[in-house]
Amino acid sequence: MDFLIKINKFLNKMLTLTGGALLVGMILLTCANILSRQVYGPIPGTFELMGYAGAVVTAFALGYTQFTNGHISVDVLVNAYPKPLKRFISIINHGVCCFFFFIASWYIVQKALTLKNANEISETLRIIYYPFIFAVALGCLILALALFTDFLKALLVQKGSVK
Amino acid sequence: MSLTLIGITGILMLLFILFVFGIPVGFAMGIVGFCGFSYVITLDAGFNMLASVTWDTFSSYGLTVIPLFIFMGQIAFYSGVNEKLYNAAFTWVGHIRGGIAMATVMACAAFAAICGSNAATAATMTTVALPQMNKYKYEPMLSTGAIACGSTLGVVIPPSVVLIIIGLSTEQSIAKLFYGGLGAGLLLAILLTLTVYVLCTIHPEWGPVGKKTTFKEKIKSLAGAVEMLILFMVVMLGLYFGLFTPTEAGAIGSFFAVVIALVQRKLSWNDFYNSIFDTLRISCMVIVIITGAMIFGRFLAITRIPFDIADWVVALPFSKITIMAIIFGIYIIGGAVMDALALLLITIPIFFPVAMELGYDPIWFGVTITIVTTLGAVTPPVGATTYVVGGMAKDVPLEKVFKGVAYFLPAYIICVILMMLFPKVVLFLPNLLN
Repeated sequence: MDFLIKINKFLNKMLTLTGGALLVGMILLTCANILSRQVYGPIPGTFELMGYAGAVVTAFALGYTQFTNGHISVDVLVNAYPKPLKRFISIINHGVCCFFFFIASWYIVQKALTLKNANEISETLRIIYYPFIFAVALGCLILALALFTDFLKALLVQKGSVK
Repeated sequence: MSLTLIGITGILMLLFILFVFGIPVGFAMGIVGFCGFSYVITLDAGFNMLASVTWDTFSSYGLTVIPLFIFMGQIAFYSGVNEKLYNAAFTWVGHIRGGIAMATVMACAAFAAICGSNAATAATMTTVALPQMNKYKYEPMLSTGAIACGSTLGVVIPPSVVLIIIGLSTEQSIAKLFYGGLGAGLLLAILLTLTVYVLCTIHPEWGPVGKKTTFKEKIKSLAGAVEMLILFMVVMLGLYFGLFTPTEAGAIGSFFAVVIALVQRKLSWNDFYNSIFDTLRISCMVIVIITGAMIFGRFLAITRIPFDIADWVVALPFSKITIMAIIFGIYIIGGAVMDALALLLITIPIFFPVAMELGYDPIWFGVTITIVTTLGAVTPPVGATTYVVGGMAKDVPLEKVFKGVAYFLPAYIICVILMMLFPKVVLFLPNLLN
């Protein structure tokens, strides 16, 4: 369990740092584009690059947000449940969400592979963009891993309390 | 099963797993939307829709505005701008009865012009303003109520993530919504300040006068606070004159917020690092809810539920105003039990077509529901902002904080009534953009 938490922490930190660097890059690129537009003309493909970078920034923060309980939920009723029921609900929640994001990740990979096989390129820059889709799939997979860790946490705590 | 029945079942299922299971809002909308879509079309179509909508939403250029404005707010927060704004307001109006509470509301409004977070404003204002009000023996109900309600201005006065999301989900101009929010936010700020004045007129002992300051001190207090407000003006004027898109405005705002904080030597490496991490966490949370709403929206669209509801509501034997009042009532109740952002994303596909069918202006509707749902941030049982203030004001019982908030609620109601009677309050500035 500790090992899983450590892996989660490490992966999320790495991905969030990468996302942070990309965010700074997005700010600089946009400012450069505004400046360049006044002098030479817009930097080609800024919109595309911003979209792709934005996708990676969000995807790479998915696991970290889960890890820090950053996703909003309506817990008015859940907070009033007795502890055993709360744990049961937590197991169901994390199990279902983990499965959902694993499936989502799998089908996003399929989408990326389809684009790769079709040699699909972006409209303005004419570059391949399936690697960004793979990055989004990776983000979803890391989120599934974080949810799996929470699922195990809830499950093991319950076992412990039964003992 | 008819499509309408499937749609209604989907909405009920969503509410069930949201409330009974407490599944995060974005995940819940995604799961129900995916299951409903797959049930109506096919499982394969559901999988393809899931992958496509996730990628399309994550990579949308329009959504890149979200992390940029959040980052601008986080930099302002970590560099302590709100403390300076409060000090400036305190120096200017602190010497009049209830002046420190008024200064708190004004500082909240000014900080809202840079940062769109209620919780961040509430946390810092409690730290900065509450000790001052305690020092001058302000009634705790007045002091905590002013902080909690003043903090709600964060989502109304632009740049506001809630307004951005309303703009994106209803395909309305974000710049127009920002200007509409500015008018409504200023009106609400004035009404909250007036509430302090009225309360201190009825109970003079609630807000004793603070120390007098010289004109020189007043001017001096503006240093350090005006720079960020000038930045706000640059961002808003740039949008107004069409010099840049909302995303570019966010980037410019973020860039210069960092530059200003660095020049003032108010931003350490650690603060920068924390700003980045907080930005990623908050914007990821927001974009996940949007993605969930998009998936759920696809499901609702194939069931045609939003249009059926709009047709049904318009055919009801009630006046336009009554229907709108009922919608606002639903938003007030909904806002009391769930986060404003999530509530708006779930309900906009249903109520926006209704408002359009009734002939309301989309910008007016977007801004007004923002004010209405913002009430939920201070009312029980959720009332996140009130909890932040109550949690930090250790010597004030939570009931007293909620009681203090109750004194300010008429200001929100009057604000909404004025906006209904005089839509120009909201639409004057956006109409100038035409």
